[in-house]
Amino acid sequence: MSQSLLEVRNLRTYLQSGARQVKAVDDISFSIPKGETFCLVGESGSGKSVSALSVIRLLPQGIATHPSGEILFNHQDLLTLDDAGIRAVRGSQIAMIFQEPMTSLNPVLSIGEQITEALYAHNPDISDSEAEQRTINVLEQVQITHASRRFHDYPHQLSGGQRQRVMIAMALACEPQLLIADEPTTALDVTVQAEILKLMRKIQEDTGMSMLFITHDFGVVAQMAQWVGVMQEGKLVESGSCASVLHQPQHAYTQQLLAALPENLVKPSLQAALELESPAAPLLSIRDLQVFFPINKGLFRRTVDYVRAVDQVSLDIFPGQIVALVGESGCGKTTLGRAVLQLEAPTSGSIKFRGQELIGLSAWTLRPLRQKMQIAFQDPQSSLNPRLLIETTLTEPMKVHGMGDSHEHRIELASQLLESVQLHRDFLWRYPHEFSGGQRQRIGLARALALNPEFIVCDEITSALDVSVQAEILQLLLNLRQQRKLTLLFITHNIGVVEYLSDQTVVMYQGKIVEQGDTAQVCQQPQHAYTQKLLAAVPRLKTSMR
Amino acid sequence: MIKTVLGSESYAARVWRKTRNGVGVEVGLAWIGLLVFSAVFAPFLANSMPLLMSKDGIVSAPVLHYLSIEDAWVLASFFIVLLVYRLKLRAVQRIALFLLGAMIAAVLVNLYVSPPKLVIYDDFRSPAYTQVDWRIMPPIPYAPTDYLRDLVSKGLEAPFETTSHLHLMGTEENGADVLSRMIHACRIALSIGLIASGIALFIGVIVGGLMGYFSGIADMLGMRLVEIFEDIPTLFLLLTFVAFFGRSLYMMMVIIGITGWSGYARYVRTEFLKLRKQDYVQAAVASGLPLSSILFRHMLPNGIAPLLVAVSFGIAGAILSEATLSFLGLGVVDAPSWGQMLDQAVKSSSFNWWMAVFPGGAIFMTVFAYNLIGEAFRDAIDPKLSNDSGLE
Repeated sequence: MSQSLLEVRNLRTYLQSGARQVKAVDDISFSIPKGETFCLVGESGSGKSVSALSVIRLLPQGIATHPSGEILFNHQDLLTLDDAGIRAVRGSQIAMIFQEPMTSLNPVLSIGEQITEALYAHNPDISDSEAEQRTINVLEQVQITHASRRFHDYPHQLSGGQRQRVMIAMALACEPQLLIADEPTTALDVTVQAEILKLMRKIQEDTGMSMLFITHDFGVVAQMAQWVGVMQEGKLVESGSCASVLHQPQHAYTQQLLAALPENLVKPSLQAALELESPAAPLLSIRDLQVFFPINKGLFRRTVDYVRAVDQVSLDIFPGQIVALVGESGCGKTTLGRAVLQLEAPTSGSIKFRGQELIGLSAWTLRPLRQKMQIAFQDPQSSLNPRLLIETTLTEPMKVHGMGDSHEHRIELASQLLESVQLHRDFLWRYPHEFSGGQRQRIGLARALALNPEFIVCDEITSALDVSVQAEILQLLLNLRQQRKLTLLFITHNIGVVEYLSDQTVVMYQGKIVEQGDTAQVCQQPQHAYTQKLLAAVPRLKTSMR
Repeated sequence: MIKTVLGSESYAARVWRKTRNGVGVEVGLAWIGLLVFSAVFAPFLANSMPLLMSKDGIVSAPVLHYLSIEDAWVLASFFIVLLVYRLKLRAVQRIALFLLGAMIAAVLVNLYVSPPKLVIYDDFRSPAYTQVDWRIMPPIPYAPTDYLRDLVSKGLEAPFETTSHLHLMGTEENGADVLSRMIHACRIALSIGLIASGIALFIGVIVGGLMGYFSGIADMLGMRLVEIFEDIPTLFLLLTFVAFFGRSLYMMMVIIGITGWSGYARYVRTEFLKLRKQDYVQAAVASGLPLSSILFRHMLPNGIAPLLVAVSFGIAGAILSEATLSFLGLGVVDAPSWGQMLDQAVKSSSFNWWMAVFPGGAIFMTVFAYNLIGEAFRDAIDPKLSNDSGLE
């Protein structure tokens, strides 16, 4: 181990929230050697971002205090520096990139201006032409094609992946010795993520800088880190070399996190899945479905073109199956899910549920069918009406569809529903804001189950959840499927979840289905080029040991 | 893990708690409370006749005898509101119960209350009312239209000018007590604000809600309607109507109401456009719930908060409109109003400060109070100003 660039000793960061003090970071110590990467992993709220912000001292001064600790950067304690001192270090010696590429660039300045600004700030004597040349060099370094021409581009002209490259370029402009990356690829699609990670590794090799890399994804850790620290409730519960932490975890929490990864979950025996009926008639049959959104322009809002969200999609879903719909953001998978439930009006095509055509039905004739098809959503924040008791949310649809004899009976049914999603029945008398994200997703599932449906569209229901909560929800889904003979359309971008959960896999790309078949077959012998690319891009724990 | 535990407090209760969190809003609420109290109990607070008296062993209450139909109905409605507030009901049930009660009260009052048509205030200063065993007078022993011009040497009196007839805020040119007129004018100020805004709110929510939920062609037509109504200058429309149909408080309320809804419609439309794509609304649609439930149970309660902020400013605006009209001499004739009192102050031959300061101050305070409440409410529902910061 070479000499360390950054050494954090007994750091504590307390945040003041109203009258309360939150120990966001509680006595952590770690060090980063020159030219190597230290990954901080943990679930949301574990204090990993606060640790990183403490290092670069970006936390608001009135709110954050450091009761103890030293942050030694090149043997200089950053916590004792004054404002001018820390500004000299920030950007030039320690740079930071953030999670959200859409909001971390200033939309009214061109990308060239934003990078040169950082250069001027730290090198006041630099000439204009030299600044521009260095900017173009650094843009080339992050593999932006035609860097000299893109110098004057604005952020909205770039894709998400390109913006993250520009962010990295901005961080690299002053040739920092330490780069702090706070979930830099979380908001990106998996294929773009793979490119960005590869790029960051290459830059590290070229420049010899160190990285403090924050992520919640163990697959990414396996690809990036030499050293890993696992955080839980502000404490560093385990740290060590990447191989030892990932393959011989010592602490119970690390073991628990690794066990909760979809690829490590014990898949229920295929036998059980096959016991479900295998009938000939599909439950849901989609033919040539198209959902177009018009693009209107001009004074009279003339339709000049269409966004082809779903284009010529044909799909059969058989009873008792879990069909995974996979694709990148914007590929039309959510639109397809909503179109099936008639929440989005299809442009053309046919959707048959148990042989009955859904398209063109009036709201009145559709109502009895709605009982059979339900949906659960991605965002736990917005999926429940904040103004209604859970009781009202669950019993109102039952009342409309004539389930239960009396209000008391419906309340009893709703309590049973909550118990079936492993929640306490007293939760009926609470409001949504009193629950955690995982609990809300369970309630969302309970609502979808309230009408005893045969078919549920699950729209990225685990994407916003921590990995351990995700594992619980996935196991719950499999149980419910067994008990209630459910058919699921599971929309996701997470290949690990697909492999764990689904019987059939459908891959969508730019509104079209490019490949479909048995999950095992699609995941192990992908035929279409896009599927192959997608699967290769997935960061995995086991295969990617360098 | 940082847990979200806030206790079982509904959204409405939380917003109300946060709204109350400040000195300004307490002042505003106290002022509005004072106005409501004055408006409801005006005949008992400022009147020329005794509240209770005993003559030759017979106890009588002349105030009750002379109570007008309007006075009786306002009193009845006030107690219905108190009753409904005490009962544990849903908001919708409360409103329905109140409307029902108010209507029944109106019918009963019309049937059973029959005050004497003519009130001669001088009678109350005659021996029939003064030579009694005992009597209890209201705190301000002057009716708002009790003109003392002939009783004393001159009509106009400054506050505390004479001791025989004590006038806390002086009198106007005809000798009527200013404080008494101020108290009785509360009713107009409050009712025009509430009823005009109520009408505007009702139309605005329905038009805006339909525009927002259906969007597309309904939205386009609705927006054109909104633009048409935004172009109508309310004050000049009011002037025209007064010129053609004479002066009426109710006409004023209706006109201010039906020209003032466009702003509310815009608010509701924006909220509904945002809400209709929310997952819980989509879930309600997917569950096959009826449109009325989707609109009024799942969308409106979540979109109404910014609207209520606008309403509190709208009430202040309506009060100003009435004051302006009365100031121009086009308000109601028979009942006193603050704007009309200001008008009198300006038109009198000499400047008498007490005739301008008190009604002007009351208008200022009322508009200020509603604005304070509106501001506090807006801050309470603004998540950016929330102190909770997700760590609570």
